[in-house]
Amino acid sequence: MEYFLFIVRSAFEDFKRSKMQTFLTSLGIIIGVFAVIMLTALGLGLKKYISDQFDALGSNTLFVIPGQISTSGGGFNPTSTLGTSFDIRDVNSLKRIRDVIAIAPIAMKSGTGKGTVKTENVTIFFTSADFFSIAGFSVDKGRLFDQNDVEKRSKVLVVGPSIAAKLYGTAYSALGKKIAIDNVNFTIIGIIASKGGGGLGGSDYDSYFFGPYTTGYVFNPNKQFFRIGVRVNPAVGLSAVKAEIDKVMLRRYKVDDFSVLEPSQILSIVNSIFSILNAVLVAIASISLLVGGIGIMNIMYVTVSDKTREVGIRRAIGARKSDILSQFLIEAVALSVIGGSLGLVLAELGVLAVSSFFPAYIDLPSVALALGVSSAIGIIFGVLPARKAANLEPVEAIRYE
Amino acid sequence: MAWLRVTSSMIKLIHVSKSYRIDEETEFFALKDATLEIKEREFISITGPSGSGKSTLMHLVGLLDKPTKGEILIQDKAISRLDDDELSSLRNSFIGFVFQQFNLIPKLSVMENILLPTIYSRKEIDYSPEMKAVNLLKKFGLYEKKDSFPNKLSGGQQQRVAILRALIMNPKLILADEPTGNLDSKTGHEIMELLKNLNEKEKITVAVVTHETDIAKYGKRIINVKDGTVKK
Repeated sequence: MEYFLFIVRSAFEDFKRSKMQTFLTSLGIIIGVFAVIMLTALGLGLKKYISDQFDALGSNTLFVIPGQISTSGGGFNPTSTLGTSFDIRDVNSLKRIRDVIAIAPIAMKSGTGKGTVKTENVTIFFTSADFFSIAGFSVDKGRLFDQNDVEKRSKVLVVGPSIAAKLYGTAYSALGKKIAIDNVNFTIIGIIASKGGGGLGGSDYDSYFFGPYTTGYVFNPNKQFFRIGVRVNPAVGLSAVKAEIDKVMLRRYKVDDFSVLEPSQILSIVNSIFSILNAVLVAIASISLLVGGIGIMNIMYVTVSDKTREVGIRRAIGARKSDILSQFLIEAVALSVIGGSLGLVLAELGVLAVSSFFPAYIDLPSVALALGVSSAIGIIFGVLPARKAANLEPVEAIRYE
Repeated sequence: MAWLRVTSSMIKLIHVSKSYRIDEETEFFALKDATLEIKEREFISITGPSGSGKSTLMHLVGLLDKPTKGEILIQDKAISRLDDDELSSLRNSFIGFVFQQFNLIPKLSVMENILLPTIYSRKEIDYSPEMKAVNLLKKFGLYEKKDSFPNKLSGGQQQRVAILRALIMNPKLILADEPTGNLDSKTGHEIMELLKNLNEKEKITVAVVTHETDIAKYGKRIINVKDGTVKK
C-alpha cells in the first residue's frame, strides 16, 4: 500500500512536470468519455421526458394505431405503421362499445401560421372534444372547443401556450385573434394550461394547435385519421375493452393492419427504440475511447524507453519485476483516469449548458461506468509497455544511455 | 568470542564465464573461466583496462547479470537456483551499489533517493529508515541538502548520496563501479577514504572496480582482469 501511494504520487509529479504532454495524451480519453457520457445523458433525458408525457395520459386510455406493433419478440418494426389509416366509420363503431366512455380520432396538419409577432411552422391536431379529457388538458383562458363546434365545423382553434407566445408575444394576447393556416382562417378561442416539459424543437404539447376534426376535413379530403384515442370505463379492465376493440376492428381490417396499445406499451416501444439508438451512439463514441487507449499505449512505450536507465537503477537497488510492472501500469491508469475525470467534468458542463432547452441528466451508473472504463483502458493499453519495462534486463537497462 | 570466528566467504565465483554469441561460429567471451573469492570484511580492488571484463565481473558479482557458465555462491549459497524475485531481494538488502554515473533518480529528492531501497524491501525493517537516513546525512555533512534534487548537487555530493542509498539497508557488501570516474582527484580520494572507513569501522565488505592505479591501491587485495581473464 505504501509502495502504491508512493508510485501514484510520483506518477502525478511526473504529470505536473509535463502538463501539456499529459493533457494531449489523455485527450483521446477526455473526448471519448465526454462523448459517451454526454450521449447517455441526452438519451436518458429524452427517455425520461417521453415517459413523463405518457404518464400524463392517465391509465385508462387505449390507442388504436395503424400497422402491427409488437413489443415482444421482434420488437418494433417501423415500416408496418405506414399504409393504413382509419375513418369516421371506425370511430362510430368503436363508440358503440359499451365501456368506451370517450373517443378521440386524431388527424394531423402542418402548415405556416402567421401571428402578429412572428410566422412559424405550426402543427394542428384535429380531433374531438373528448380529446381534452383523454389527454388531460384543461383551459387556461378562453374555452376549449366542444361537441357543438364539431357539429358546426366551426373554424376555431385552441392553442398551446408556448406556440401562442411565439406567434403573438404573450400567450394570452393570442386569445380571440384570427390566424390563417395555409389560407384557411381560424379564430383562436382558448389557451390551454401548460403541460410543462422541455423544448425538443417544439414537439411538446404546449407547442400545438387543436381543432375540431370535422373542420380539419378541409385539409383532409379523404377524412382519414392516423390515430384513435379511447378512454375506457375505469371499473372494467383495459384488456377486456382491448379485446372488444380488436373484435370490432377485425371486421374491417386484417390483423396486421392495426394495433391497440396502452400508453405503457407505447412507452416500452419508445424505451426500446431509445435503448437501441443509445447503444449505437455510445458504440460510435467508444471508438474515440479506443483511439485514446492507443494514444496512451504509444506514450507509455515512449516513457518506457525514456526511463530505461531509471528502471535499471531501480532494479539494481532491489525492485522486482512486479514493482516495475505496477509502476508503469499505475502511471497508465492514472493517465487515463485523469482523462476520464476531465471528460466527466466536461460532460457535466455540457449537460448544464443544454439543460435550459434539453432535459439531459447524468446518472450515477454513467459516472461509475466512465471511471471504470477509463481505468480498464489504462490497464489494457498500459500492460504491454509495462511488461516491456519489467522484462528489461537489469544490466542492459543500467548501461542504457 | 570474536577471536574464534573464522573469516567466511562472502562471494565465490567458480569457473564463471560470460559470453555473447556474435554469429553462428563466433562467441565473444567478456569473462572467461573466472574463479575468485571475496571474503567477509575484505576490501578488494578489481582493475584492468577498459573492455577487460572488469565491469562484467562486477555485474555478475552484483547479481545484475547471470553467468553463461559456472556458478556464483553468495555466503556459500548457489545463486543459480534463485528466481528473479530472490535475486532482487539480495540486491536490495545484501548488496549496495555505487556507480560511476552516481545513478540517482533525478526527479526524487536526496532524502527520497536514499530511502528508495526501503520501498522495495519485502522484509521487516527493524529500525527507522528515516532516522538512519537523517543520521547518515548529518554524518556526511549533507543534511542541509536533504530536500534538494540531484542536479543541484556537486559530483562529490551526488556520489556521497549514492553511498548513503547503498548503506540504508545495512548491506554486507558494497560494490563500487568506477566510483571516482566522474570526480576530480581530490574528491575521488575523499570518496575512497569514505569507503575505506566503511570497511574498517562498519565491517562492510567493499569491492571497487577501477582503472586508476592510485585508486586501486586502497584495496587490501588487487585483482587484475585482462582480456576477460582474472589474474591474481
